[in-house]
Amino acid sequence: MDFAELSAGPVDLASAARRVVPQECGATVTLDGYARKYTNDKETGETHETEYLIYEAYDEMALKEMRKLIAAAKVKFAISNVGIVHRTGRVEIGETSVVVSVAAPHRRAAFEACEWLIRELKRTVPIWKKEVYADGEKWSEGE
Amino acid sequence: MAIRVLFFGATAELVGHREIKTDIDGWASRLLDKIVADYPQLGSQKLLISVNQEHASGETVVRDGDEIAIFTPVSGG
Repeated sequence: MDFAELSAGPVDLASAARRVVPQECGATVTLDGYARKYTNDKETGETHETEYLIYEAYDEMALKEMRKLIAAAKVKFAISNVGIVHRTGRVEIGETSVVVSVAAPHRRAAFEACEWLIRELKRTVPIWKKEVYADGEKWSEGE
Repeated sequence: MAIRVLFFGATAELVGHREIKTDIDGWASRLLDKIVADYPQLGSQKLLISVNQEHASGETVVRDGDEIAIFTPVSGG
């Protein structure tokens, strides 16, 4: 089955990945996006050491946009099911912030769809990330 | 009735509110100009707008009862 969810608590990657699996499929590609400790400031080029992240979502619209992406991916690629879970609230370094799991009869379509989905998610789904450093904080600039 | 205007992330912090009400209907660009005039601290930001939970542009028409959101480019993932 397909699913699009926001989660205020830790995400279980393995169980998210298994939920998309139907019998006709042979491969699931799952992206485990997690919080990175070091980020480069696009303006100054400085490297910041992040202590943790805060994600904020426009919940209703974010879920709608995720469902739209799932529907579009299923038209564009030969895939069966898609699951997306995105964290909200405080996310520690190394903790999963986003899961995109794509099940397909054959792996190539699953890889391609997964890459397309995360790229589009980062462009269209109304969720914002704040990086919190030892000496300050900054809302991350989208592209 | 009124038009609800929601803020998220950077715009919520800059404005100091998560929601305000307005009666500026018509083109979304007109509403956006009014909000930036009221909250000039938004002026330095690249701002995007949604109308009734759909991405919108300055030419989207806003009507009484609509739900608007004003935010910076999204940065999830």
